[in-house]
Amino acid sequence: MTWETLAFLLVAGTAFGISGYKFSLLYKVMRAQTGKAPTFKDWGARIGQLFINVLGQKAVLQSRWVGTAHTMIFWGFIVITIGTLEQFAMTLYSGASFEFIGESAYYALIWSQDFFTLLVLVGVLMAAARRYLNPPKYLGQSSDANFVLIFTGSLMVSIFLMNAFHSLGNPWFKEAFFISSGIGNGIASLGFTEEQSHTGFTVFKWIHMLLVLGFAVFIPGSKHLHIIAAGPNTVLKHLPLERGMKSINFEDETVTQYGAAKITDFSWKDALDLYSCTECGRCESLCPAWNTGKPLSPKSLIVDMKKNLHANKAAIIAGKSEEVTPLIDANVTEDVIWACTSCRACEVACPVFIGHTDKIYDARRNLMMMESKFPAEVQPVFKNMETNGTPWAFSASDRANWAQGSDVKTLADIGSATELDAVLWVGCAGSYDDRNKSVLKSFVNVLHKAQIKFAILGTEEQCTGDAARRIGNEYLFQTLAKMNIETLNRYQVKRIITACPHCFNTLKNEYKDFGGDYEVIHHSTYLAKLIAEGRIKPAKEMKETVTFHDSCYLGRWNGIYDAPRTTLGAVKGVNLVEMKQNKETGLCCGAGGGRMWMEETIGDRINVKRTEQAIETGASVVATSCPFCMTMISDGVKTKDKVDAMRVMDIAEIVDQTT
Amino acid sequence: MNLLVCIKQVPDTETKIKLNGDSTGIDPAGIKWIVSPYDEFAIEEALRIKEKNAGSTVTVLSAGPDRVVDALRTALAMGADNAVHVELPESADSFMAAKALAGAIKKEAPAELIFFGKEAIDDGAAQVPQLVAGFLGLPGCTVVCGLEYGSGTVTAKREIEGGSFEKVELPLPAVIAAHKGLNEPRYATLPNIMKAKKKEVKAVKLADIGVSQADQKIKLKNLQLPPPKQAGKKIEGDAATQAKTLVDFLRNEAKVI
Repeated sequence: MTWETLAFLLVAGTAFGISGYKFSLLYKVMRAQTGKAPTFKDWGARIGQLFINVLGQKAVLQSRWVGTAHTMIFWGFIVITIGTLEQFAMTLYSGASFEFIGESAYYALIWSQDFFTLLVLVGVLMAAARRYLNPPKYLGQSSDANFVLIFTGSLMVSIFLMNAFHSLGNPWFKEAFFISSGIGNGIASLGFTEEQSHTGFTVFKWIHMLLVLGFAVFIPGSKHLHIIAAGPNTVLKHLPLERGMKSINFEDETVTQYGAAKITDFSWKDALDLYSCTECGRCESLCPAWNTGKPLSPKSLIVDMKKNLHANKAAIIAGKSEEVTPLIDANVTEDVIWACTSCRACEVACPVFIGHTDKIYDARRNLMMMESKFPAEVQPVFKNMETNGTPWAFSASDRANWAQGSDVKTLADIGSATELDAVLWVGCAGSYDDRNKSVLKSFVNVLHKAQIKFAILGTEEQCTGDAARRIGNEYLFQTLAKMNIETLNRYQVKRIITACPHCFNTLKNEYKDFGGDYEVIHHSTYLAKLIAEGRIKPAKEMKETVTFHDSCYLGRWNGIYDAPRTTLGAVKGVNLVEMKQNKETGLCCGAGGGRMWMEETIGDRINVKRTEQAIETGASVVATSCPFCMTMISDGVKTKDKVDAMRVMDIAEIVDQTT
Repeated sequence: MNLLVCIKQVPDTETKIKLNGDSTGIDPAGIKWIVSPYDEFAIEEALRIKEKNAGSTVTVLSAGPDRVVDALRTALAMGADNAVHVELPESADSFMAAKALAGAIKKEAPAELIFFGKEAIDDGAAQVPQLVAGFLGLPGCTVVCGLEYGSGTVTAKREIEGGSFEKVELPLPAVIAAHKGLNEPRYATLPNIMKAKKKEVKAVKLADIGVSQADQKIKLKNLQLPPPKQAGKKIEGDAATQAKTLVDFLRNEAKVI
């Protein structure tokens, strides 16, 4: 046994021992999480994710510059690790070379070591240039990041110098190390003896190995943990974009905690989310709350939750749940939790597929249902939903008044939905809010023009419960959902059309859990279909510059970006222009996640910021496809004093006016 | 300490009231019922005193038809411990209701503090708290928007004319009729909603407390809805014309000057 073998056994044993211990704690903490994790199916698609988003780095590459740098570093490390393994093996036993793979393959391996070391070094320099020369604000300051860059850079330099010395006096390696042999030539010119060269090789080999082992100790306690966690997290991500919130089974009497009061109330998958965060800040850069001065940053939320998890590690592992400190603390305040508009811009931007919003909903469910702590102005909204089936303070008996004189039948009139093309779900805004009542009238006009056989539920319709669910009042949501499902099923409703993306999402994705399975079509899709089929023709010219504001519940929640644009594009004379934030990166109007019913007292108003983006386009019309967006953007236009220059219209109104 | 809250179930504030066939009352069909909002202040105040005084219980009473059990469950969900349903016909007036409640209190639940809302928002009579205090021979204070609980006494802050307040000290036991501003009523937590569903609601029959139909002093014979609201009038013209038209209107149509 050489001194090198002995030394390596000692150092590597210690390093892997410490690292392994740290990882085992992380694993134990993850396993001790009590929340219910989702069930993972569809493994074919998950393997696909491994290729697309892990090996393929697709989501990472959404940011071109740093994504390219990351991909270079990522692939570089995979390849270099093969060389490092050989190095470890050969330090233990000098005959353990990977030469057995055949000479040409081994040549390729040695060649690739040099090539990928260069790739990583360039990647590190690109990342460093971004971080130190012109850092985006959302990147933040992180000592971990500085450390990782210096570490990785040093690692690559040590490899080059090690290989350079290795190539001295060794023609085969000199050829294979096509980059470092150049450095070797430079070193050779200094006149090293063969023995000195060998010492040089040994020195840099050990520097390299010590750096690698040091890294192994550093990783589990740092944000660099993502190199272990992000891969699995990507494979285990929510597969379909279209999804509802997870349901609570109130029949299960063994459940005594609803939502998350402590970090341990989340699931192991949530813990894996926390481990995966690299603090890249893409979530923060798009967050409507953060960008208008609210205390919520999705990045900080995840980082702070991770801090909470680490701080409670001992109690969690010891199984002393009563000693675990509350989730709501000095960092994750109630204001942080209530600031979210559930727009999901953070989730769409996240390259490692962290589910930020689920965590916020769990926190809200605890605050709402267990502690009865929520913004005071929401209480009358809940009471209205409970007694009148609408968040607005109007009588349930007035729900169908908007349709008087519009030749709209109710299902009570006709008895069953079986002979209808579709049931029109009006929604509370369409039923009670003056501006949105006229949107519904326009949509009804279009349906009449297209000779669609439809009916409404009239006074039997109730709020879908979307806002109650987003605010955390799952109990009220389920009460409303069950009543609506009972009504819909009683009339044998199969197909529903609606002009409200919130109703659309809830009916389509969230009623399934309670026995409500319907084909649900949002009016933007339905209008596009009617136009495509030639049932309506928007032939009248509308000479306007129009910009379309994406509703989050249509776009990011359900992936519908094209249908409303297709509809608007079909109108003669319309010049469609985009705001600087659109589609996946579109800015929320500020009303989602129950924010419609809360005061916006902190920071700037989100709707005003969005309206400013619309004004920048020079558009004369902002087209919306959501009643809440309609309200928020209309208010924004009034605030900006642009009522004369810019109209806010629903796409149904535009189609109605031009057909 | 026993704390008692008497509540009334009333139609939701958004209800479109319809009269019954013979105009002797309202048609209850299709009405969404709620706890009268002033009674929620009463419940909340009792719960707060209970939370500050270990070992206290809050019992909630409601007199009315079977439907009022829902209102009692709402109060239980907010945190009340016990509930008593005093069976009372739909047509009962304030006197009969007060006599029934007083009877039930004497029979079932003696208390140190008895809370009411200052009035129910359906008939707006504002009679029952004082009548119950009278039947029980207890001191009472109405329109209470602040309460300090001391040893053997309570000090009530009550609103009087002109936006002023007065403070009244009452020996216990006492009757308190709550007004807006006393507190912010809570929203029930889910565990309490679940518990409330399983709690027993005790029933008290009128015969057991010596109340009969003869105690109904007021009988409605011809209840009418208020006339429909007229559309507003916009006065046009220059300032002088507008002033003239307005004075003319106030003098001849509205007859107020």
